[in-house]
Amino acid sequence: MKRFICVVVAIVVCASCNRAAPPSAGSGKPTVALVLKTLNHPFFVDMRRGAQEAADRLGVTLQVQAAEREIDVEKQMQIVENLIQTGIQALAITPSGSREIVSALVKARDAKVPIVVVDTRLDQKAASDAGVHAETFVGSDNYEGGKLAGEYLVKATGGKARVGILEGIPGHETGDSRLRGFRDAVKGSTGVAIVASQPANWERDQGFNVFQNMLQAHPEIDAVFACSDLMALGAVEAIRAAGKTGAIKVVGFDALDDARKAIAAGSMEASVAQFPAEMGRAAIESAVKVIHGEKLPDDIKVKLELVTKDNVK
Amino acid sequence: MNRARQFGTLIGLAVLCAVLWILTPYFLTVSNLLNVAEQTSINAIVAVGMTFVILSAGIDLSVGSIVAFSGVILGIALRAGQPIAAAIAAALAVGAMCGLGNGLLVTLGGLPPFIVTLGTMSIARGAALLVTEGRPISGFTASFRVLATGRAGFVPAPVIATAAVYLVAHVALTRTRFGRYVYAIGGNEEATRLSGVAVRFHKTMIYVVSGVMSAIAAVILTARLNSAQPIAGMMYELDAIAATVIGGTSLMGGEGTLGGTLVGALIMGVLRNGLNLLGVSSFLQQIVIGGVIVVAVLLDTVLKRKR
Repeated sequence: MKRFICVVVAIVVCASCNRAAPPSAGSGKPTVALVLKTLNHPFFVDMRRGAQEAADRLGVTLQVQAAEREIDVEKQMQIVENLIQTGIQALAITPSGSREIVSALVKARDAKVPIVVVDTRLDQKAASDAGVHAETFVGSDNYEGGKLAGEYLVKATGGKARVGILEGIPGHETGDSRLRGFRDAVKGSTGVAIVASQPANWERDQGFNVFQNMLQAHPEIDAVFACSDLMALGAVEAIRAAGKTGAIKVVGFDALDDARKAIAAGSMEASVAQFPAEMGRAAIESAVKVIHGEKLPDDIKVKLELVTKDNVK
Repeated sequence: MNRARQFGTLIGLAVLCAVLWILTPYFLTVSNLLNVAEQTSINAIVAVGMTFVILSAGIDLSVGSIVAFSGVILGIALRAGQPIAAAIAAALAVGAMCGLGNGLLVTLGGLPPFIVTLGTMSIARGAALLVTEGRPISGFTASFRVLATGRAGFVPAPVIATAAVYLVAHVALTRTRFGRYVYAIGGNEEATRLSGVAVRFHKTMIYVVSGVMSAIAAVILTARLNSAQPIAGMMYELDAIAATVIGGTSLMGGEGTLGGTLVGALIMGVLRNGLNLLGVSSFLQQIVIGGVIVVAVLLDTVLKRKR
């Protein structure tokens, strides 16, 4: 134990010496950090690609980091704290928790690192209570996307449908907004009834199981809205297993490659496309503008598009 | 032997720090080391309970879910306008009750700890989601958040809390009868029972300790995030087991120290921090962390064989 204390003391002493020489950025290029929710989802992989292209074009160094799991906001907070230490000039972040991440952003603010929020909005109240100000928000509106899906489903079913919904992880801003948008869009059509709504936690295998169970309980279901394509694709397989392909219209979200294939093959009806690479590009461009002292609009909207068999490629 | 092993882990930590010091100018600064200490605190506290359980040759897979469940109870109590002390007491009580359930099922029910705590892992997680309807509870007063944002001099509050927890737990483990029994139960439960020790009672209490530690971690986590999330604490059990095992505690029970566990938790915290600072890809980070766990246990086994 004594030796342990000695080592700790030694570390602290060294550290204090080191503090006299503040670390510099090294090369002349400014460094921008992009903190993603995760890197094991095609959406964020595309976002990184777009960001990297923009960074190369604008001559900035890009640091991309992400937690292992999408919902691990504590880990994301640690990443932000650690990146601030490396003297980044701007931080672009897709918050894993709209309220929770604010605590980490307070530290960025204190270190005078400007913040660009991407894809998932900060909770406005939490941010203003903590005095955190994002330079801009880059993203597409998940609520609008959900609405787009709902309006399409009403049209495609001629206003008569028994809908089963696959939700994302409960309490997740992205999924909640899509869900609200969808519900608001179908509310007006009396022929459309939502008969079941269950979380499948963004996952493909859970999408399969949950929808299979749903179909057991509600064999009358003839339409599905899944808050993400992975869950939608799970449902597509469950429908195939039940021998009901084509009889149940599936609408997803994200327009992943697999979903586009399913739409082209007719096993899926439609999916709402976001443009993550576009988001990544706009995020880095915004960050660079902030570094150069330019003022940004509060919102930078990235387009949404409904992919159906008419426009799938 | 214990001392030698503990010293080995400490050398590992020192080497790791030295390597990072050489590789990046950002590592060895006061503010970064304080970050590491703060980031490590939650895992370190959960790992205290895990060390007690593993020393007794058990395992507790439910710690992460108990963090979530006691956290949301804390959040609900605070939101309902309860005084901070009462809300924390409620959270600790929830942690203790979960631990008590684990302990009783293991001792009176005669079930393997792995199965019991696997069940509790799901039950506590479900309970946390149920009482919150899946939504995080957030926005607490500054006087509560001080538990994470406060500083004594320059030391963050979570670090002080961790130090206090380790001090108390270390004394309990090495200077009290309860602590002796933890080792004895892990070493040879039957012999311990035959020598007249109330094994069932003490074993149950070990799981209660683990539950309470999870609840303490939940208090810090909730203050840190300014939010009590029902999905918080996922995979904490694996981090805690890793810290305990890297710290030299034997999964067979009866052998290990809390000092080792603290160093184990620090190794994981320093490693994550360093990999972030170096900008290592997050996929590679997982490989490195997994590798360190395996190498640490391998060293342990080799050292034991030599003995």
